[in-house]
Amino acid sequence: MDLVLTTFLKMAFILAVILGLVPVLIWAERKGSAFIQDRTGPNRAGIAGIRLAGLIHPIADVLKLLFKEDVRPAGVHRVMYALAPFLVFFVSLLTYAVIPFGDYLEVGGRRIPLVVADLDVGILYVLAIASLGTYGIVMGGWASNNKYTFLGAVRSTSQMISYEISMGLALMGLLLVSESLRLTDVVAGQGQLLWGFLPRWGVVVQPLGAILFMTAAFAETNRNPFDLPEGESELVSGYHLEYSSMKFALFFMAEYTNLVVASALIATLYFGGWNIPWLSRAVIEARAGVLLPALLAAHVAVCALAAALYLRRASRERGKFGDARDREPGLMAGVCVVAGLAGLAALALRPWEIGPAGASLLATVLQVGAFVGKVVFFCWFFIWVRWTLPRFRYDQLMHLGWKVMLPLALANLVVTAVVAAFV
Amino acid sequence: MNGKVHGYGGKMTLWERLYLGEIFRGLGITIRHVIRNLLHTGDMPTVQYPEEHRAYSPRFRGRHRLMKREDGTPRCVACMMCSTACPADCIHIVAEEHPDPAIEKAPASFEIDLLRCVYCGLCEEACPCDAIRMDTGIYDLAADSREKFWVDKEFLLNNTTDGTR
Amino acid sequence: MVKVTIDGTELEFAAGTSLFDACRTARGEALPHFCYHPDLSVAGVCRLCQVEVEGMPKLTIACNTTVREGMVVHTRSEKVRRAAQQILEMHLINHPVDCPICDQAGECGLQDQYMTYGLYESEVGKSDKVHKAKVQVIGPRVVLDKERCVLCSRCVRFCDEVTRTGELGIFNRGDRAEIGVAPGRQLDNAYSLNTVDICPVGALTSLDFRFKKRVWLLRSTPSLCHGCATGCSVRVDHEAGTVYRLKPRRNPAVNGAWMCDEGRDTYRELHADTRLREPLLRRDGALRPATWPEAWATLAAAAGPAAPLGFAVVSPRQSLEEIALFAHLAAVLGAPAAGVSGGAREADRGEGDDLLRSADRAPNRAALAWLGLDEPAGADLAARVRAARGAVLVYGADPAADAPGWREAVAGRTVIHLGTHRNATAESADIVIPLGAWAEKDGLLVNRQGRVQASRRAIARPGLAQEDWRFLADWLAAAGATEFPASLPDLRRWVAGRVPALAGVDLNALPPEGLVPGAVAAGAGGER
Repeated sequence: MDLVLTTFLKMAFILAVILGLVPVLIWAERKGSAFIQDRTGPNRAGIAGIRLAGLIHPIADVLKLLFKEDVRPAGVHRVMYALAPFLVFFVSLLTYAVIPFGDYLEVGGRRIPLVVADLDVGILYVLAIASLGTYGIVMGGWASNNKYTFLGAVRSTSQMISYEISMGLALMGLLLVSESLRLTDVVAGQGQLLWGFLPRWGVVVQPLGAILFMTAAFAETNRNPFDLPEGESELVSGYHLEYSSMKFALFFMAEYTNLVVASALIATLYFGGWNIPWLSRAVIEARAGVLLPALLAAHVAVCALAAALYLRRASRERGKFGDARDREPGLMAGVCVVAGLAGLAALALRPWEIGPAGASLLATVLQVGAFVGKVVFFCWFFIWVRWTLPRFRYDQLMHLGWKVMLPLALANLVVTAVVAAFV
Repeated sequence: MNGKVHGYGGKMTLWERLYLGEIFRGLGITIRHVIRNLLHTGDMPTVQYPEEHRAYSPRFRGRHRLMKREDGTPRCVACMMCSTACPADCIHIVAEEHPDPAIEKAPASFEIDLLRCVYCGLCEEACPCDAIRMDTGIYDLAADSREKFWVDKEFLLNNTTDGTR
Repeated sequence: MVKVTIDGTELEFAAGTSLFDACRTARGEALPHFCYHPDLSVAGVCRLCQVEVEGMPKLTIACNTTVREGMVVHTRSEKVRRAAQQILEMHLINHPVDCPICDQAGECGLQDQYMTYGLYESEVGKSDKVHKAKVQVIGPRVVLDKERCVLCSRCVRFCDEVTRTGELGIFNRGDRAEIGVAPGRQLDNAYSLNTVDICPVGALTSLDFRFKKRVWLLRSTPSLCHGCATGCSVRVDHEAGTVYRLKPRRNPAVNGAWMCDEGRDTYRELHADTRLREPLLRRDGALRPATWPEAWATLAAAAGPAAPLGFAVVSPRQSLEEIALFAHLAAVLGAPAAGVSGGAREADRGEGDDLLRSADRAPNRAALAWLGLDEPAGADLAARVRAARGAVLVYGADPAADAPGWREAVAGRTVIHLGTHRNATAESADIVIPLGAWAEKDGLLVNRQGRVQASRRAIARPGLAQEDWRFLADWLAAAGATEFPASLPDLRRWVAGRVPALAGVDLNALPPEGLVPGAVAAGAGGER
């Protein structure tokens, strides 16, 4: 019973984080691309004048998509057409089952591992599920009865096959190092130090593998520079061209959940997962009395800085719009002050006298926070790369996949195997 | 930004062909923009349009207006020079007799299809009476039906507010 | 013949030729002028047509000089150009230059000649000009603006010499001289609008055309007036499918440079509200709009191979080709036993005079005789219709209004009306077919002189109306005829072959002034 309950709670947590991240990512994509291109980006939608630098836009988008007409073109395969977006979205969520997002949570003396399913063959599971996503795309592209969607689906398949191999070979190199297919073991192994000072992260012991895996991950998620299945310059918008309303929204959200999956995998396999370098669980628990007050103090300082910045803006932009939007900076300054005061109140509760249970909880929270932070960074990295690089030509894509990455991955595997055998 | 520019088929160095380094150089360029724009939000060239307006030259050709005589009647004598000169064929005038024989001719109706207009200003040039001008500076025309863009004499004579909205 | 050298070219002219006409021939264009008009007497008042004649001490006006043997004339010398410019400046001293509101703008002699010979800076301020009365309605059709007048006296001479009514004159002297109507009179003769035509400036303008359209927007199509049997050559001025006015086209053999005011009004019927725009079929006692396939089906049932046609009537307002094709169609449909008639003889009569207007208001009655169709009197027509059995076909005519006893004669029988307007016959018909009005189709008319002239299509037909000859040819084909025209030239060749009077005449290549076929010319050629 406990197992079922905790599993459901963990699943709920993961879903909440991912689904909460999707609108933030959409916002980050729009705002980030705008700043890269010297634009202001979304800044219009607001609720009672509160715009949060455009964060309200995803809400407006979702509302809009919900109320859009669900158009089904003539000649589509009804079942597959309806099923495809659900399949894509569903599969994109499945991978999270095996990704550990923390070490363990200690409740009442019992340690709950922070992973939904700690499979022995976690990495194989990841590879298996990752390739399933293409089925949804192929189904949608074929069932739409449109040459552009079909071409997009075909491209997606061939791209998936080409890069799946490199991805698998790169992972095999990592397996030789971690000596386990279980993802919790892989993460735990990365918590150690190499030669006493370097975190034994995947990217350190498998640098080429990390680059190959990340490149393949870009290709698997159909992100720029590998977004040829969408290829709006030649395929209008690729495999989801004929979709509208919430079906389109599902494709759109699946793209971002895939993004989070890929980021989580990269973080887990090559960047230490939930590990904080040089700050192991034991260290955190031992120094909890110092760490917690320091964190609270930092929180208060950040809040004070933010409040000061908002107040400056409020005085500068007084009456700029002549409507509810003028109240926003003042209001935000107030929120920051309240948050800062909450931090001060927590400091007043003498956090340096924290007990062992609290120290364990603090360590778990910090580790989960580190994992989420890494995931968010790689999500931003995906966005960053998208607005930096141009899209590959199709022959370049195939050239890179088969004639560059495959030999490199093989070489990486062989070298790793030789080193692992003799060291 | 100020790196070497290669022509099509130009030779790339080994470093450039490795691609990875160049990718990171590109990432560096884009993140520089992000940071600069984060720190100096106000310096962005974007104009926050409905609140801010770009300043236009006084010669800017906006929506037309009809000039009035001192008694408030249109200065236009319905000579059709503007509709003849109009390359978009968007000015439609019907003439009528003016009660004053010294004026003799006046527009019974003077209509402009603003959706057809190309804002070339030839009507201003053609007008012998300085009756039509495009100096209102109004360029943000918006309406919820095509009919509202078909503006009549009364509208053009009292053109200070944007009635197309 | 006398030999004259004009601008270095030696040419021969008949003795007594005006130097003005000689110069027009030599130059290819007329000299600048206001007062000269080929159909009026010479006045020599505008002084614009001055030319340099060697041996003469001063420049001389060409219009009042006749050619002499050995004359050496210069029309393009600097002296002549300067003279024209200075005279033009004189003309414009008191001209209000209100071109924007002037209906003449675009076809104005002052504008044209200023652009050719003027282009000087005016030395007269606007406030120094002598002002005169504007917008004076001097007759039922003409508006006078005394300021714009250049006192060329064309209109005065027209009223004195052509209509001999003498309403107009020049009053006062010097810069106060002005055109006016004789006290107690109006410019109300039947040809008053010709004064507007010949006015070289905007002094006399048409009340009907006033402010309707700027003339540079109009397109002109050479055509014929369909108002009476005279068949004046006219120009149809139209724009965007609407006819705005008729203007006479100079044809010395028929109408000179004139046409009557009544004829100018005939364009109005083209745009009347009563125009037929789609086929009408009588259903449940009322005429209701129908499609062409429905109309064809009904036609085939009413007068086809199965049901012989009883009687056919055609109006003398239709063209020669149409009447011929219609008579042929009637024969194919079985009507010849009862005969084809040209309509009631009493119809189309009006007031005539010895100038242009013909009492016979049908423009093509001569064609009926050429084609051997008779025109019974109204009562006689009704009797003959009653004697025939089967459907009655009426083309263009309105016998229900013109012929007494017609309604009783056709009671209970199917009446098919081919026409342009909802007239009395159309209202009482069972099948109404919309066809083109005169300005909407090409056609030949035979006027009272027996002159064949071509009328040209100017505008498009309204609604679903069909071109007459095509409709008739289609019906011929539907009725099983083996012979029907494929094109209008084809049809004209066929007509020429059927009419003895037209032997050897190519109806597809008529001269602009028309042609009187030799056989007919002997009897009717002299009338004008």
